Amino acid sequence: MSNHAEFLVLGAGPGGYACAFRAADLGLNTVLVDPRATLGGVCLNEGCIPSKALLHSAEVIREASHMSHWGIGFEKPSINLDKLRDKKESIVTSLTSGLAGLSRRRKVKVVQGTGTFVDKNTVEIDGEEWTFDNLVISVGSAPISLPGWPDDDRIWDSRDALELREIPSHLTIVGGGIIGLEMATVYSALGSQVQVVEMGSQIAAGSDKECAAILHDALTSDGITIHTNTQVVSVNTASECIELTCDGDFTGVIEADAVIQAVGRRANGLKINAEAAGLDVMPNGVIQVDSSCRTAQPNIFAIGDVTGNPMLAHRATHQGHVAAEVASGHSAALDTDLIPSVAYTNPELAWVGLTPAQATDQGIVVKQTSFPWAASGRNLASGGGDGLTKLVYCPDTNRLLGASIVGRGAGELLSELVLAIEMGATLEDVALTVHAHPTLAETTAFAAERALGTLTDL
Amino acid sequence: MKDHSASPSVRAKALELSIDLEKLAADLDKRQITLDDLSPKQNTGRSQVADSLSYWDVDHSLYGDVQIQATSKIDRVASDNLSAANTVIPQVTHQDHADITAIEALRGQFKLEAKKRGVKLTGLAFYVKALAHTLKKFQKFNASLSSDGQTLFLKEYVHIGIAVDTEHGLMVPVIRNVDKKGLFTIAAEIIELANKAKSRKLSADDMGGASMTISNLGGIGGTGFTPIVNPPEVAILGITRTETRPFWDGEAFVPTKFAPLDLSYDHRVINGADAARFLAELTHVLKDPRQLLV
Repeated sequence: MSNHAEFLVLGAGPGGYACAFRAADLGLNTVLVDPRATLGGVCLNEGCIPSKALLHSAEVIREASHMSHWGIGFEKPSINLDKLRDKKESIVTSLTSGLAGLSRRRKVKVVQGTGTFVDKNTVEIDGEEWTFDNLVISVGSAPISLPGWPDDDRIWDSRDALELREIPSHLTIVGGGIIGLEMATVYSALGSQVQVVEMGSQIAAGSDKECAAILHDALTSDGITIHTNTQVVSVNTASECIELTCDGDFTGVIEADAVIQAVGRRANGLKINAEAAGLDVMPNGVIQVDSSCRTAQPNIFAIGDVTGNPMLAHRATHQGHVAAEVASGHSAALDTDLIPSVAYTNPELAWVGLTPAQATDQGIVVKQTSFPWAASGRNLASGGGDGLTKLVYCPDTNRLLGASIVGRGAGELLSELVLAIEMGATLEDVALTVHAHPTLAETTAFAAERALGTLTDL
Repeated sequence: MKDHSASPSVRAKALELSIDLEKLAADLDKRQITLDDLSPKQNTGRSQVADSLSYWDVDHSLYGDVQIQATSKIDRVASDNLSAANTVIPQVTHQDHADITAIEALRGQFKLEAKKRGVKLTGLAFYVKALAHTLKKFQKFNASLSSDGQTLFLKEYVHIGIAVDTEHGLMVPVIRNVDKKGLFTIAAEIIELANKAKSRKLSADDMGGASMTISNLGGIGGTGFTPIVNPPEVAILGITRTETRPFWDGEAFVPTKFAPLDLSYDHRVINGADAARFLAELTHVLKDPRQLLV
């Protein structure tokens, strides 16, 4: 009894299911394979979505406590961790069961199991061989474990952290990237004393320096301790607390009840026996693809985290559509470098395109303009703290090349600028577009007006 | 960073049509490419010309030594004008020749008068005068079309452009109100404008707004050519070298001086029969300059 799929998708994360659904919509007989019992991958089950549910709780706790400055006082919140976990899980369940419904409606066959290559037209899924015409590798990535660290229940990765086992009174997070900072935001609001240890000179590496500094200050004033330019040189789990010996800007020992490793993710390309299909996998697990998501084998595509940075769900989704379309005989490509990044911290930090530092590195002449949220009526009236909307543009043409926003809801505000940059908009285009007042989105137009000398709000 | 921009939907369409946007932007000389730029039906004259420019991208030095010379600004202006004219205007050249025996005789008779006035009375002055006379009778030739082809502008003045060959390039100064001027005035102005052109002293007022242009190669040679209409005019008169040919006058062959005339015209405005009538009238006036009085 042989199994055959016209189109087989290995991995049902946001890239994989989008790819499978698009392929089915284009008329391909599609099989979607994932080791989990539910669809949605890391993003839905143990990443983006559960973390957002916890971040929402954190925001409500923080907002409520800040209302004391407005003369509105609340009791210190009582936190029922089991109920919070249940709520988070019910949100995930409602979304994963929704996906199961969507796949049934499209007649996508879902197979639970782990796939490895046998040859360039065959995979083995938990002992069963499947042949395929076209296959998409969307096996994602996994958290990197720091080398030499002992195995200990109190040392978590992002997945463990989102399980919400307990609220450690002292929590240390190694890695000040997006995931680390989001975990810091959650656990700090839930009551942990949080310290973040970051090797680099700024948190949220790759983001605009000035915006990252505003986020840094905001997190610090919320009680989170951040050590930049600091490395953990040794870990001691023998005593009651975990002892982290640090070197750098902070030199000394941090005692923690739990530690989260958030130092990045590694592509899963080495876990699927890709050599059997004649594919090269880089030592870091990445499978390289062209803009049409093709690997070295014309019938094998790869999308999402397994194709390297940026490891973001929305990139995977777009790649998934591209791979399905190309496999169906259409011309398609992910023809953009504009993949937005968002840290869902409090305040949020969101950016896209060039930052001034990247422009300097690449030898591109740019100018920047910004609008401070201290001058935004909507921000002050909503109890928002410090924030900044910054635009990076070409001084010859005024074309937008990048944008960074730090402040409440920055992730939502950024999309206007992603579209603007995609459309080739200039500062004038943004400034002359009527933005509703009073909104936080206005700060985008104000920043553009500031550069053009037409701003009357500053 | 790319110099051009195109929205995501335009980029997707370009990929589907296998269009290289960077090349298209360069060919169209556009910073922002829109969906319209990708559509073949929108690819009118200009971009077709641009698309075929690759034929000129040749490394000539592969075939022998070459000297490299930049084109002058005047050459480039003329080049743009001629390319546009040749791409946009459906042109036809109608040919005839004019018996200029009488004109040559008149030139001889006016020689003394011309000397007194300090003017060299050239044959060209007669052509200019005769052309003005003919234009007054054929309004359609003294006209311009709007760029969208919807409107015809009929001119109530008669200005004649003269193509002047200079070492800097081709220039076309214009003699104003030729119909109201005498032969000697016209002859004097031709010389004055030609000298100004050669010394690059033509002002903006000296050019533009012509009814028609004359390109006179009579002093150099040739038996005929196909001049290109100088937009926004609708016709141009080419003249090549006068030759003496046997002419049957009904009783005998008589050696007769003929000037070959080439009338190129914009077929959107002028029909072949109009052109034949126009040139017949012009040759008639040239053969019998007394008609200028009528």
